[in-house]
Amino acid sequence: MCPTTLGRVQTRVAILIGPALFGLLLTLLTGNVGFIVTIGVYLLMGVALDLTLYTLVIRWQPPWLTFVLGVGEFVILAVLLNILQVPLTFPQAALFYWVSWILATLTRIIVLPLVSLAWLENGGEFRETGWSIPPALEPVPLIAQVEEERPYGALVREFSTVREIPEEIRNLPSPSGVRRIPTGPPPD
Amino acid sequence: MPLEGPRDSSIAIVGDGFGSAIVFATAVYLGFRPDQVTIYGTNDNPVNTYQQFAFNLGQTVLRSESESHFLPADWPTFAQLECWSRGSPSPMFRSIGRKYNPGVPDILAEVTVVARRLGWNDNRFPRHVGWLQREHRPSPHFLLFDEEANYIGRAKHVMLAMGHGPLSFPPLLAKAREDPPTGDRIVQAYEPKVYAPDGRYVVIGAGIASVNEWANALDVGAKVISLLRNPAPDEQDLNTPRCLFEARGIDVFQGLPFEQRIAFLGKILKGTTPKRRGWAARVQRGVAEGRFEQIIGEIDRLEPGPAGLRIHITSRHGPDPGWLDVTGVISGTGFVKSVLTVPLLRRLVEHYNVPVEEGRLKLRTNCGIPGLDMAVSRLCMMGIFANTVIPHGDTIAGLKYIGRRFAVDCARAERVRQRSFFARLGMQLSLAGESARAMKTVRRMEQLA
Repeated sequence: MCPTTLGRVQTRVAILIGPALFGLLLTLLTGNVGFIVTIGVYLLMGVALDLTLYTLVIRWQPPWLTFVLGVGEFVILAVLLNILQVPLTFPQAALFYWVSWILATLTRIIVLPLVSLAWLENGGEFRETGWSIPPALEPVPLIAQVEEERPYGALVREFSTVREIPEEIRNLPSPSGVRRIPTGPPPD
Repeated sequence: MPLEGPRDSSIAIVGDGFGSAIVFATAVYLGFRPDQVTIYGTNDNPVNTYQQFAFNLGQTVLRSESESHFLPADWPTFAQLECWSRGSPSPMFRSIGRKYNPGVPDILAEVTVVARRLGWNDNRFPRHVGWLQREHRPSPHFLLFDEEANYIGRAKHVMLAMGHGPLSFPPLLAKAREDPPTGDRIVQAYEPKVYAPDGRYVVIGAGIASVNEWANALDVGAKVISLLRNPAPDEQDLNTPRCLFEARGIDVFQGLPFEQRIAFLGKILKGTTPKRRGWAARVQRGVAEGRFEQIIGEIDRLEPGPAGLRIHITSRHGPDPGWLDVTGVISGTGFVKSVLTVPLLRRLVEHYNVPVEEGRLKLRTNCGIPGLDMAVSRLCMMGIFANTVIPHGDTIAGLKYIGRRFAVDCARAERVRQRSFFARLGMQLSLAGESARAMKTVRRMEQLA
C-alpha cells in the first residue's frame, strides 16, 4: 500500500473507533479514566507521526512494516503515558495497547475494504469510489541503468555460423506447436 | 446456459475474459441484479483466454500479489484464502514479506467460483460485438450488433473489456513467419511450443514472458541466448512501479499531458525483469552449465539454415555477435498495443472520429471514449488500451481499479440501491468460503520468490 498523508490520518481515525469504544467501556466498568485517555493519547501521537515522520520516510508500506510501526508506537506511547502520569500500570497499559492494536488491525484488514470498495486503492483515503482528480504533483522519477560493455561468451561463439554445426542438432523439430510443417511425403 | 436472444441491459460488457468477471461481480456486489448485466462473448468461462496463455507460457504462479483476486471487495486476499483453504500459515507470512504470488490453478478456481455463483454464464450472450451505435432517444443508450450486423441487444452503459490486440513480433520476424521455410521456427512466447533437449534458442525480450521461456527451455536441457534490445532493464516485481497501482501514483500520472503519459509508459513498460528465486536459480544453473547467455542486439537478417534458422545480430552496445545458427527464435514481445488492430475499435475510430495518437485512444480521465461517453450512459475502456489513463490497466489490480469505478458510475446513473454492509459482508464471505473450498481441490504451486 502507498498511503497518502490524508489516507494515513483518515485510516488512523477510523481504525481507532473500535478501540475507543473498548476503552470507554473499560473506563465505565472500572472507573479508571486511564483507558480512554490512553486511546486519546495514542490517536494524537499517531496522527502526529502520520503527518510528519511516516509521510516523509515511508512511501510504500509493506504489511510487515505495520507490525514494526506498532512496536515503535508502543514504546513512544509508554513513554508519553509515563510523562503524562496516566493512571494505568505498565502491564495494564501494555495489555490494553496490544488488544487495541489487534482490534484496529482487524478493522483495517477486514472492515475498511467492505465499508469502502476503493479504500485500499485510494491510499487509505475514504474518497468516493471515483476517478482521480489530477493534482499538479511531481512526476515519478525513473533512472535507466546502463551496464558496461562486456565480451560475448562461449554460447555465442558456439552458436556462431563460423563453426561446424553438430550433426545431432541438424534435424531438431521446430519449436512451434501451432505451425508444424509436415515432414513426410505428400499425400497421393 | 447462456442467453438465447438479445435483451435490454443496464450494463453491457463487450468481452468475456477476466475484465468481464470483475465488472460483473462488482456490479452485482454494488446492487445490480445479475440480469441487468449482459456479457458478450463466445467463451463459456472467463478464464478460458488467460488459461490458454498461461499454459503456453508454462506459467505456474502470477506475477501479481495477494490482493489481485476476483472477489468484489479487497478482503480476504489470496494469501488469506489459501491459508484458510490449506490450513497453512505460510502464505500469510510470505504475503507479509511481499513474497507471495497466487498460483495459476488457485486464481482459475476462484474466478470460476465467482462466475458460477453470480451467474456470469447465464447472463452471457454468445456473440462477438462487431458494432456499437450511440442512440440519444428516448434516453441515451447503445445498440449492439454482432460481426454479421445482427442486432444483439441494447444497453445503457457499455464496458469495452476486449483484452489485448494480436501477438506482436519485430517486423523482420513477422515477415519471416509468413515464409514457410522459416515460419515455424519463429514462435511467440504466448503460443504453444516445444523445446528440444539439445536445441539452441534465442529468446527476445526481458519481460515475464521471456523469463518464463528462459526457464522452460533450460528445464528441458536446451541452450538459450537471451537477446535484449537495450542494456539491463530495471528490476521490478510488478510490471509498473508499486505506487502507480494506487491513488498516489495514478493522480500524478493523470496529471501529465497525454504525450508525456505515452512517453512515460514507453519507459516503464519497455522491459522490467521480475526477480524470482525459482527463475534466478534456473538461470544461474544454466549459466554455470554454459547453457545460458545474455547479449544486447537486434536480429537484422534471417534465413533458413542447417540448424533451422540462421540469424544475424547487430549490436549498438558492443561488437556484433554476427551470424548464428539456431533451432528457433522465441519472441517475448507481447501484444500489439495499437487500438487499430481491434476491428470494433477501428470501426468506432473511423465512424465516430474518436481521437487516436500513436495507436492509442485519447481516453478521458475516466477511461471514457471521447465523443461517445456520457455520465448518464457510459462507454468505458479497460485493459491494455486504457493504460494511457491507468498505467497498470492490463493487470488484475488495474482491471479492478477501472471496473469498480465504472460499476459505481453506472450504479450512480441508475440510482441503484446499494447493498447494506452486512449484505456485502455476507456475499463476500460466501464467495470466499466457496473459493477456499475450490482451492483445496487444485494443485498447490511452488512459490518462486
